[in-house]
Amino acid sequence: MSRISNWLRDGVGFDILLVGAALLFLVALAGAPLVYNVLMSFQQVDMFTLGSLIRPFVGFDNYIAVVRQPEFWLVTRNTLVFVFGSMTGQFVLGFALALFFAQNFPGASTIRGLFLVSWVMPGLVVGAIWSWILAGDFGVLNVILKSLGIIQSNIFWKSDPNFSIWAVIIANIWLGLAFNMLLLSVGLAAIPRDLYEAAELDGANAFQRFWTITLPMMRSTIGAVLSLGLIGTLQQFDLFPALTEGGPANTSNVAGFWSWQLSFQLYDFAKGATVSVMMFLLVLFASVIYVRSTRHEVRG
Amino acid sequence: MTAQIELAGIDKHYGSFHALKDISLTIDKGSFVALVGPSGCGKSTLLRSIAGLESISAGRMSIAGREMTGVPPRHRDIAMVFQSYALYPHMTVEDNLTYSLRLHGVGKAEARKKAAEVAATTGLTQLLKRYPRQLSGGQRQRVAMGRAIIRNPKAFLFDEPLSNLDAALRVQMRKEIRALHDRLGATSVYVTHDQIEAMTMADWVVVMRDGVIEQQGRPLDLYDHPVNRFVAGFIGSPAMNFMAGRIAESGNAVVLDGGAGTLPLARHVEPGRAVLAGIRPEHLVMAGDDASFHLTIGVVESTGSATYLTSPDGAFQLVQSERTTLGPGDRVGLTIDPVRVHLFDPQTGMRL
Repeated sequence: MSRISNWLRDGVGFDILLVGAALLFLVALAGAPLVYNVLMSFQQVDMFTLGSLIRPFVGFDNYIAVVRQPEFWLVTRNTLVFVFGSMTGQFVLGFALALFFAQNFPGASTIRGLFLVSWVMPGLVVGAIWSWILAGDFGVLNVILKSLGIIQSNIFWKSDPNFSIWAVIIANIWLGLAFNMLLLSVGLAAIPRDLYEAAELDGANAFQRFWTITLPMMRSTIGAVLSLGLIGTLQQFDLFPALTEGGPANTSNVAGFWSWQLSFQLYDFAKGATVSVMMFLLVLFASVIYVRSTRHEVRG
Repeated sequence: MTAQIELAGIDKHYGSFHALKDISLTIDKGSFVALVGPSGCGKSTLLRSIAGLESISAGRMSIAGREMTGVPPRHRDIAMVFQSYALYPHMTVEDNLTYSLRLHGVGKAEARKKAAEVAATTGLTQLLKRYPRQLSGGQRQRVAMGRAIIRNPKAFLFDEPLSNLDAALRVQMRKEIRALHDRLGATSVYVTHDQIEAMTMADWVVVMRDGVIEQQGRPLDLYDHPVNRFVAGFIGSPAMNFMAGRIAESGNAVVLDGGAGTLPLARHVEPGRAVLAGIRPEHLVMAGDDASFHLTIGVVESTGSATYLTSPDGAFQLVQSERTTLGPGDRVGLTIDPVRVHLFDPQTGMRL
């Protein structure tokens, strides 16, 4: 008995205990659902088999059925537009703000802190606020654009098929901006000041310093921001029910929301699981690229 | 000699802190000037002002005859070696060396050729493809130097470049930097808190304290004729001993306070005046009956080549080149060549 307690207290036993606890947690709450999800995507799930774990296997039938859905290509296109639009907006604006707040001016860190508000707010609340801002007949965005002379008549952001996906993208950019800015600010702060001074003495102007010092030194941070941005964007759910519910006619529907609709509105759990497995593969692909890019990480 | 860098009436304020006070300094072309002083004396601020990395609050400066006040660093044609080296971590040694050339539109082949030349003079030829993190401290130091040399700038600025190296390497790099300076015929400004570096490397030493130049001159002139007590105590190692006393009736000796003894003087000074006598530890000579004053020994340290004897309170030190059998508690008689006694005013600290 004392040998076991000694092993726990002094030996590798304690390490194994700690690792084991974390691993158990991961397996139970992330691993098992993931495996179950993949399993379901290869099964026939209906009212009669819902309660059992092992259901009739159907091979790739679910995948074929999903691809043959009439809205599949529209949703795929929307998902890509949503992901690239949101990430580009979040990253470019976030980087610009991070650079702006990296300058030394009174109140810089306080104002930067205020940006956290957008990160703290629940997505549904953000969605509701943007729903008012983007409203076609009384929304403030239309008023601003009209008074600036950019548009002549109201744009019905949420119900015009040409704009509905962009309505969600605009809200999502705002939602993810603070997160991008904060991570990029941390990356910027980690670059030693004297590198810039050395570059300045070597004759680099502000643009050259950004291009040859800032960007290469930020490589791993940018990789992390982009991969987390991809995951966050694919996971984005709250804004859709609050803004467009994927409509009109699926013109603003994306994979994540579609998967939820299939599972919990149409009760077609197999197709819902299939769509989420497809998304999982996309994220996995992006993660591999990210991990490979940080392998040559350069610091100090 | 023509002036390469000229500073006139430089002032620098950080809020209410007055970092540089009316600094005027002329640095000749081809000279090696050391800015030396305790930390916080403004020597680094002055160097960074010359580089343009700090703006100055008042005054004018010119480099190679061109007015440089307010000119951004990249238009000053000056190279700086940083204490941290500030090597670009994401570039190989070769890319670090050629960075400035590439910015100025020098062709790839030309840049590589120059990098190879510089690498040969700094001993980096085998390391061109490595990254800074794969180099030792001394090698990084050389890359930082090479990056400065490759541009053939108007002046080299060094900001405590050796302080991150171990003692043996520091002594070696001291010689290498000086040799490189002579070979290139460069103009160098070197900031250090180590007066030995300043004395051994520089042709001209500028001693600073609290934003003011206390004294400037050739290294040995500073050693022989310090203008005040601060410079006297700062230059020389171990530091000068100071003893309070009063000029004797005769006017050519100092009667030390507390009955410690009498120091002979080589000149006549107003009798009865209170003075501070400064004696360098290496100028004291052991004596028998003709001793000027006596010292009780507290600590004996031998390095083999020299013996350091310190008084019990640690305030007085002397250096002997001979070995000694003396131990703690022994009393020794000491004498000194009268011309080597420095006198300072006890109030103002100025040399008498």
